Amino acid sequence: MSDNFIERARYTCAQGGAAATVTALPGGIPILHSPSGCAGNFAWTQNGGSGLQVGGYCGTLAIPSTSIQERDVVFGGDERLREQVESTIKVMDGRIYAVLTSCVSEVIGDDIKSIVADFRGQGVPIIGAETAGFKGNSYKGYDLVLQSLFSDFLEQGVAKKKKRVNLWGVVPSFDPFWRGNLEEVRRLLEALGLEVNSFFLDVDTIEGIRQSASASLNIVISHSYGLEAAGVFEAVHGTPYVSLPLPVGASATESFLRAVGKKAGVRSTQTEAVIKSEKKRYYHYLEPLTDCFNDLDLQRYAVVVGDSNYAVALTKFLADDLGWLPELAVCTDPLQIHEQDRLQEQLKHLESRYPVKLVFESDGSQVIHHLREKWPSAGSGRYQNVFGPAFVIGSSLDRELALEIGAPHLSVSFPVANRAILDRGYTGFRGGLRLIEDLIGAIVAGR
Amino acid sequence: MSYIDLKSAPKREDRLKACIAHGSTICEMAGAKGKKSCLQNDGDRSFTQGSICLLLPALAMLNTLPDNVVLVHSAIGCGSCTHSQNANVRFGSSVRQGKVKDGVWLSTAMNEVDVISGGEEKLEQAIIEADRRYKPFSITVVAACVPGIIGDDIDGVIQRIQPEVNARLLPVHCEGFKTKIWATAYDAVYHGIGRTLLREGEQAATGDGLSPFKGLERLPNTVNLMNVSSMGRVDELELERLLKTLGLDVNIFPVFTHPDSMVKATQAALSISTCPTHDDYFLSYLEERFGVPALIRHMPIGIENTGLWLRDVAARFGFEEQAEQIIAREEQELNDALAIFRPLFEGKKVFISAGEFRALATARLLEELGFQVAGIRSFHHDEFAEVEYQKLANSSTEDYVIDIANVQPFEEANLLKKLKPDLFLGHANGNGTAAKLGIPTHVIYHTALSYIGYKGVYEIARRLHRQLKNPIYNRKLSDNVRLPYRDEWYGASPFAYINTQGGTAA
Repeated sequence: MSDNFIERARYTCAQGGAAATVTALPGGIPILHSPSGCAGNFAWTQNGGSGLQVGGYCGTLAIPSTSIQERDVVFGGDERLREQVESTIKVMDGRIYAVLTSCVSEVIGDDIKSIVADFRGQGVPIIGAETAGFKGNSYKGYDLVLQSLFSDFLEQGVAKKKKRVNLWGVVPSFDPFWRGNLEEVRRLLEALGLEVNSFFLDVDTIEGIRQSASASLNIVISHSYGLEAAGVFEAVHGTPYVSLPLPVGASATESFLRAVGKKAGVRSTQTEAVIKSEKKRYYHYLEPLTDCFNDLDLQRYAVVVGDSNYAVALTKFLADDLGWLPELAVCTDPLQIHEQDRLQEQLKHLESRYPVKLVFESDGSQVIHHLREKWPSAGSGRYQNVFGPAFVIGSSLDRELALEIGAPHLSVSFPVANRAILDRGYTGFRGGLRLIEDLIGAIVAGR
Repeated sequence: MSYIDLKSAPKREDRLKACIAHGSTICEMAGAKGKKSCLQNDGDRSFTQGSICLLLPALAMLNTLPDNVVLVHSAIGCGSCTHSQNANVRFGSSVRQGKVKDGVWLSTAMNEVDVISGGEEKLEQAIIEADRRYKPFSITVVAACVPGIIGDDIDGVIQRIQPEVNARLLPVHCEGFKTKIWATAYDAVYHGIGRTLLREGEQAATGDGLSPFKGLERLPNTVNLMNVSSMGRVDELELERLLKTLGLDVNIFPVFTHPDSMVKATQAALSISTCPTHDDYFLSYLEERFGVPALIRHMPIGIENTGLWLRDVAARFGFEEQAEQIIAREEQELNDALAIFRPLFEGKKVFISAGEFRALATARLLEELGFQVAGIRSFHHDEFAEVEYQKLANSSTEDYVIDIANVQPFEEANLLKKLKPDLFLGHANGNGTAAKLGIPTHVIYHTALSYIGYKGVYEIARRLHRQLKNPIYNRKLSDNVRLPYRDEWYGASPFAYINTQGGTAA
């Protein structure tokens, strides 16, 4: 980890995360208050990292942008922004518009808040977020958009409904599996008898989002993403939230459902019934793998490299469900100490009690050094306890590491350049099965 | 004083009066009438969509350089486009050097504190650490918008820190808000290369003219073939093949060229561009300082253009006769091979979108295949392309629309709804609009595909034939998804939001 640079950052800036988040809302139209290149930079970023998904209804180079230039830097970009919002509403057919500022517009000090408020006053469904790239990465941008959405777009003072919940915590496009991940968790919550608004799925509606302050509980499936927004939601609308780790596979999902059920007032008999039926299906499908799992000796040592959600969730799945040996987990996000502690805490309480070393390292090229530290050279001679057979789960940038230690590899965490991802997800019971398919598929590809 | 003596390359709107906002037609663009306003006073749009900036093409070049680290000085997002461009680096190094390799790109990730107190010190430390960790031959220090707007002096930092590090430090200025013409990227990269790697060998003119970089000999049969990343290896091989039949040795420059060997470019007998949009800045420099003359006409895309390009090269070496023989033989063989594809193309209307030269040359190629051009969108316009518009005006029987736009898919959607072409060719991340309208599409640039020379004509024909044999994917897509524009927009003039001096040009 360097204090001076980040190597091949596995995210883009706040504005890039914000733009992807707005694009993912039903009828969402981002309006970038930026130089012209920001939109293209995000398009190419998704093209290379989001599992071959780029944009959506209004994404990539269709995204409106003030495309401010040097003269706006000198004279201010306020007028240009007003003009652009006005023309955007005339040309673009949106259900919600979101002005997102950039490094340049924030440094020159344009007053977007009053401009956005003026348009909102005229009845335009519009929000604004200050998402300059120097404020943070794409995860920060996701949080900032949610904060604006919660404080400025949701209807206030609506009555709470008991079994209604909101769900968020995976970042559109920057979790390449975001749609599948949200869908499976939503399905499970509905199985508990809850009514779910998940903001970003095809079943979500802008009206449902507008009324989402009626939820009695917010569920954030992350220990890092969308938490400040959850605080804003609670402060503005009085809905409490629960932050739980991304539930990947049977064991994690079982704990997740119990925790949510308890918070959301679901009868424990109902929760247990759901868990029982889901587990029955899960093991029904897993059962016939047993022979090959043993015959082909498919247990592996593993290195897991991922963002805050995946580094822990995948490691826990390997250790507690698959019976693999994840010696090293690497979280590539820049986190505050208290955020790091929350993740460390998760891995201290593994059911398998497998001793995983979790490190925080942004630079992929340094992972090998962490591994050598955890698993020093096996010595020389005929008998060597090498780190193997091994597997690397990470991003497509971790193929170099996999090559170096001679291990198969699966890209899960951003960037995923080498897989096409549509509705695949790894959350829940079904996601656990998908993940087993993909991991073992990578091992036996040459069979 | 020439441009290279300045800290950074001038922007193209100043140097070449390049423009990006103009609605026109092929006849107008080919004649003098009506063009003046565009060239001298570019219009602007009161509604605009996002685009790219010069940072993207600059990084596409820099990331290919072996033994080089790209250090972007800006906020964390600038340069994340490399995630996509890295595929070209991996594929390109695999086919050229036999080994798959990821690019090495870093960001100083400037934060709020850096914006307030300046990022120069952080940049210094980053350079020192990158030098120690990666031990590269060179570090290209790329300044994006944030240092540009807060006034970090990256050239000063480089000057201060160069004695402390082993790597050669190249400044590359890519402050996106400073130019709307992203082709300035090529000048910015070439500027860094020229000022740093090819500078100390500058020599005064001797009796018999300028000489190569100090101590090196002129190579009378070697030509520089310029490639700023617009050609993949397969296209390089096609041009190498043609040039070798003329008895020439080829030095490809600058993508995938080790920075240490770049001096070789000063030894060549001739530099050959495949696209004036890319190379005019650097070729002038090579000519002025090292006496390497340049050819900068015609893009070898299409049958006629490839012939013109090859004839120009041959004429410089007195190989005119051989060239005619080669061209006659190549054209004969190619035309025979194209015969099976032509019936499917005949009379089909096509809309083309790309960088100006590529769009125009590809339009000519498509005409040669039997297509009829329905419209062209050029990403910018400058004087180099005038001759290309004239070629197209001469070959077309009907006038058609020219949209000068740095992409702007809303204008394209409007035009496509009206023109209803049978085929659309667009750049990377630029085929989505046409595809969602159900029009068969094909990518006009991809470094893994063949486009250039005679082989390019054949391979494009083969791919288009494939696309047109079953275009159902886009048709089904269009039945089920819609573009994000209001219905009213399709009734308006496609150029309704272009303001020119003195009012709206609609």
